[in-house]
Amino acid sequence: MDPRGFAAGKVMVQGGSGRVGAAHLRLMRASGTQIVAVVSPTMRVTDVDTVPVFPSCRAAVAATGANVSVAFVAAEQLLSAIREALQAGITGLVTPTEGMPIHDALQAACAVTDAGACWIGASTPGMAVPGIGKLGFLPDVSLRPGMLGVVSKSGTLSYEAAYRLARRGIGQSVWVGVGGDPVKGTRFADLVPFYAADKATRALLVIGEIGGDEEEELAERLRACAFAKPVYAIIAGATAPEGTTMGHAGAMVYGSVGTFASKQAALRAAGVHVAVSLAELEQQMEHGQW
Amino acid sequence: MFLLEHDAKSMLSSGGIPVPHGFFVTSMDMLPETQPDGGGWVVKAQILAGGRGKLGGIRMAPTWAGVEPEIAAMLGRAIAGHTVHAVRIEPRMHAASEAYISLSVSPATRKIQVILSSVGGVEIEALHRSGGPVRSAQAAATANAVATCILGLTEGMHDAAATALADAGKRLANLFFAHDLTLLEINPLFVFADGSWCAGDAKVVVDDNATGRQAFLRNLLAQKASFYPDAARKAEHEFDYLVIDPAGEVGLLTTGAGLSMLLIDELRAGGLRPYNFLDVRTGGLNGDASRLVQVLRWIAQGPSVRALFCNIFAGATDLGAFARLLLEARAAVPALTVPMVIRLVGNGAEEARAVLTAAGLSMTSDLDEAVLSLRRALGQAS
Repeated sequence: MDPRGFAAGKVMVQGGSGRVGAAHLRLMRASGTQIVAVVSPTMRVTDVDTVPVFPSCRAAVAATGANVSVAFVAAEQLLSAIREALQAGITGLVTPTEGMPIHDALQAACAVTDAGACWIGASTPGMAVPGIGKLGFLPDVSLRPGMLGVVSKSGTLSYEAAYRLARRGIGQSVWVGVGGDPVKGTRFADLVPFYAADKATRALLVIGEIGGDEEEELAERLRACAFAKPVYAIIAGATAPEGTTMGHAGAMVYGSVGTFASKQAALRAAGVHVAVSLAELEQQMEHGQW
Repeated sequence: MFLLEHDAKSMLSSGGIPVPHGFFVTSMDMLPETQPDGGGWVVKAQILAGGRGKLGGIRMAPTWAGVEPEIAAMLGRAIAGHTVHAVRIEPRMHAASEAYISLSVSPATRKIQVILSSVGGVEIEALHRSGGPVRSAQAAATANAVATCILGLTEGMHDAAATALADAGKRLANLFFAHDLTLLEINPLFVFADGSWCAGDAKVVVDDNATGRQAFLRNLLAQKASFYPDAARKAEHEFDYLVIDPAGEVGLLTTGAGLSMLLIDELRAGGLRPYNFLDVRTGGLNGDASRLVQVLRWIAQGPSVRALFCNIFAGATDLGAFARLLLEARAAVPALTVPMVIRLVGNGAEEARAVLTAAGLSMTSDLDEAVLSLRRALGQAS
């Protein structure tokens, strides 16, 4: 898993000629991302802001050497879009699409592993290395080059937290939104080796939420590899009712699984500073030793 | 989406999995006039919660005459916080033994978790803790791999249970993939003296994201919307809205699940009472105010709502356009007269400020300041 390599890669945008895709393509380019191709099977246009349009991933990769793809396609077409990108030799995938069926995500995750590739998503706002590039649509108002690694399940909560920290001069080294789906390409724990080795990252901020066991798995991984950098966390959903899906498909407490208490306890036991409010998070991070 | 037992059993039955013949009753006049075949009856509350048995949600009636009083005692009652609007009545089964089987998606491994036991009818976690015969393994996410895994797990089990589980397993694996299930648990699986079997209970969770390709789910939401209000609302409106506190004082107009959840947590920690959860998905408004109008109408139904709090952190949304839609929606819902506190950050925030100021409304970009304004609007000293 090398998100830095993704942000500095040659990027193609699947679905980049649609209204939404083209708008994000322009914003990604403005952030420094090297966009080399757009894939659109309908080929209604030949270029998007001078970026050439190709009818297939294979043609785009052959002509431009693209190695990373950002896909803005409908949920029901996402699995086939991922398969097509992998078959064309893409090694890094970012898929912001919301609402991907879970069984499709299972198949996609297998295909990605078999191809030796990496996948961020689905249901992710994307990732960014501020100053180098972004894949997806993390808002510029929150992006600021710095030394804090950020990983998040929630888009908006990470925008808010990073915005507040950026106002205090705390910027990001590498920011990865893993997304709010239960079955996904990259989980928090998958990113631990990367952040441990990344010299530009001095501390890690984890933005979690109730549901699933990703935060618990992360805590275990941090302990197992003796992660030496300070880790801060905030978890949404402390007061969410049991048995109810809170917007994100993965955000549901059921019995004792996925509760705020379980996540807070696991992270604290692994030495993570867990803040109970955004204001407390700001205080902790501003006065923390890192 | 968690299915009522009755609907789960209809799904099983459609997939060739035997279930006791049961009927769905929401009022006494739905009872058959003549007594159906059976010796002894079970009346089961149809609620979206587990553990009914311990809470009086499953009652036995030795005779047909005893069924009606049990139904009368159950309908309208609250069990685990869920009002019982329907029951399922089944003939009592006389099984030689009971077994257990469940299939579920394992997000961490991206595989299917399979759990089997030759002992059923008890809580599987408790059985496992007490050293009971619980067997589990993970299979790749295909029907064949899951069926093969189940077969492997039955090796060495006593004959009747092993045969029944292997037979059930194959059909359940097919059903799991054909219907986009994330959980399928049969507890107990009744095994009869002649080797036949049926599903005594069924806990089924279907992936809501697959509604588009699952006719069973679409029909269910169309025909039984009142039994699945949250899922039906989401399927119809394509965004998430939940009343979390019927006596709440603050209506929330928010986007993004994580930030909306945290805002609720923080408001509550500060002693305020939010009325609803909302992830309106501003990116999906596409210049149309109808989604906002719908939300304001719902919030207006909150009997104790005294203020509206609009908090939008826009990643890609143009806030100028959003502010105009907000004014349009507000004008379309005159019933909502409470003060509105607006906090907007992101693309086009300055244009939004101009639009709102022209309409006599103020906005801030600072969340803490907005919460202070909200307290003032509620008449609380800061």
